[in-house]
Amino acid sequence: MLCQICKKKEATIMITQVIGGEKTELHLCKDCATLFGDKFSIISFPQFNLDDLLSGLLKAFDLYSQEEGRMTAGEIKCSNCGLTYQDFMQTGKLGCSICYQDFRGQLLPLLRRLHGNSEHIGKVPLQAKNKLDKINQIKRLRQELQEVVIKEDYERAAQIRDEILKLEGVTKKKDAK
Amino acid sequence: MPSNNSKFWLKNLARSSAEWINGCGPLSEVVVSSRIRLARNIEAIPFPHWAKEEDLKNIYEVMQQLAQENIIFRKFKLLLLNNFTPLELQFLVEKHLISLYQANGKHPYRGCLYNQEETACIMINEEDHLRIQYILSGLQLKKIWGSINQIDNEIGKTVNYAFSEKEGYLTSCPTNVGTGMRASVMLHLPALVRLNRLNEILKAIAKIGYVVRGFYGEGTEVMGNLFQISNQITLGLSEEEIIDNLEKVSRQIIEQEEKARRDLLKDFKNYLEDQIWRAYGILSQARIISSVEAMELLSKLRLGVELKIVSQINLELINRIMLMLQPAYLQILAQKNLNASERDIQRAKLIREKINPMNN
Repeated sequence: MLCQICKKKEATIMITQVIGGEKTELHLCKDCATLFGDKFSIISFPQFNLDDLLSGLLKAFDLYSQEEGRMTAGEIKCSNCGLTYQDFMQTGKLGCSICYQDFRGQLLPLLRRLHGNSEHIGKVPLQAKNKLDKINQIKRLRQELQEVVIKEDYERAAQIRDEILKLEGVTKKKDAK
Repeated sequence: MPSNNSKFWLKNLARSSAEWINGCGPLSEVVVSSRIRLARNIEAIPFPHWAKEEDLKNIYEVMQQLAQENIIFRKFKLLLLNNFTPLELQFLVEKHLISLYQANGKHPYRGCLYNQEETACIMINEEDHLRIQYILSGLQLKKIWGSINQIDNEIGKTVNYAFSEKEGYLTSCPTNVGTGMRASVMLHLPALVRLNRLNEILKAIAKIGYVVRGFYGEGTEVMGNLFQISNQITLGLSEEEIIDNLEKVSRQIIEQEEKARRDLLKDFKNYLEDQIWRAYGILSQARIISSVEAMELLSKLRLGVELKIVSQINLELINRIMLMLQPAYLQILAQKNLNASERDIQRAKLIREKINPMNN
């Protein structure tokens, strides 16, 4: 049988996926399998879409954790939207932004596998940036507070304490909105 | 604003054309268009596939209000896709104003907010709450980033984006998390295909985390030697790095394609010219033509224009024909439903009229 991707070389590797009870088989040559099977790279094959691949991978992860004797992750539920990890494994889609916190333990290895690196270094939205700036400023002031207390500069300490309270007040008010 | 008279805007969209059609951008001999899209969601509200109707309505209305009030959206139009027919939705896909996913969506309050030049477009309640996209002709990723970043900032002033310090912008599918950015270029690579040199290049591209797709993006076929190359990785790289890398990759492929074109011209000049003029001949005379055949011939004609072998036609005309020959576009223009064989006749007629406007 010829490889279903390059249609030139002999297919030596078979990838079987079970999605929603339906079994699909993909016959690939060694080169195409290394290229497309492992890297999640897609060349416009309707039967080979990213969602299917993702849910295949998710199942493999779950199987792996079962083999290790751990409890299956499928039962974990998002505290905000109620989506279970099982739902995520079936569709490859999370339910809301809070899912990222509640499924963090399961998601981190997946993100590492998908993106190679699991920390964002790109753009930060303005609102989040302002909040982050404030948190960092409070952190700096707390450090300074410790230093001036050691130096017994209580006048400066009182000033810093007021600044921190002011900043925290603003942050909290914004959160309450 | 959503128009009650959908026939009105539909007619308008059938006549209007996007900026990228003009084929005037940098390196347009190989690069048809560049595009960036950003996936954005609103904090704690369930993603569209998991949301209740009132959440979807809420998001739609926030964007509706933003479109009315923010000066940056002054020249934008908002379409509520709920009551569109499958044909009308397919037409919007063919115009690259919405995605296939958005057209096939089952949930209510799916929307499309687009500007007059059809360069910017915000899909509402797609796979993510918002998908912002920006398209320009030729290789212009940096310029696009400048424009789309500004739109993103304006929206971010009104809505509270779902964002975490570690994972970045949080998206419905973990494949988009981080920057939420997909940058892509549409390349016309007939010479690399003809000389069988493309496979090697595609292998190299896949190894460094870039993906090749067809004309309409994910899950679509390659037609007319047009290849869409985009980044796969969205987390752990900055937006600028993603763009820089894609631009570098694109420039290398462009160089290879140009070299292949020179080789073709050197070794098979007569054959190449014959192929191009034959394509021109068939396109200007055919009475029945399928979209696959038309795309193949248009690719040859495009190469003829790009190599300045054919001078009476420009890239804008080819881009325009390429868009209009698609099934839904043809039917919208004809203002009636056409079956496949009727479309083949209509397509041939449209191409003849566009290519020889004098004789018709």
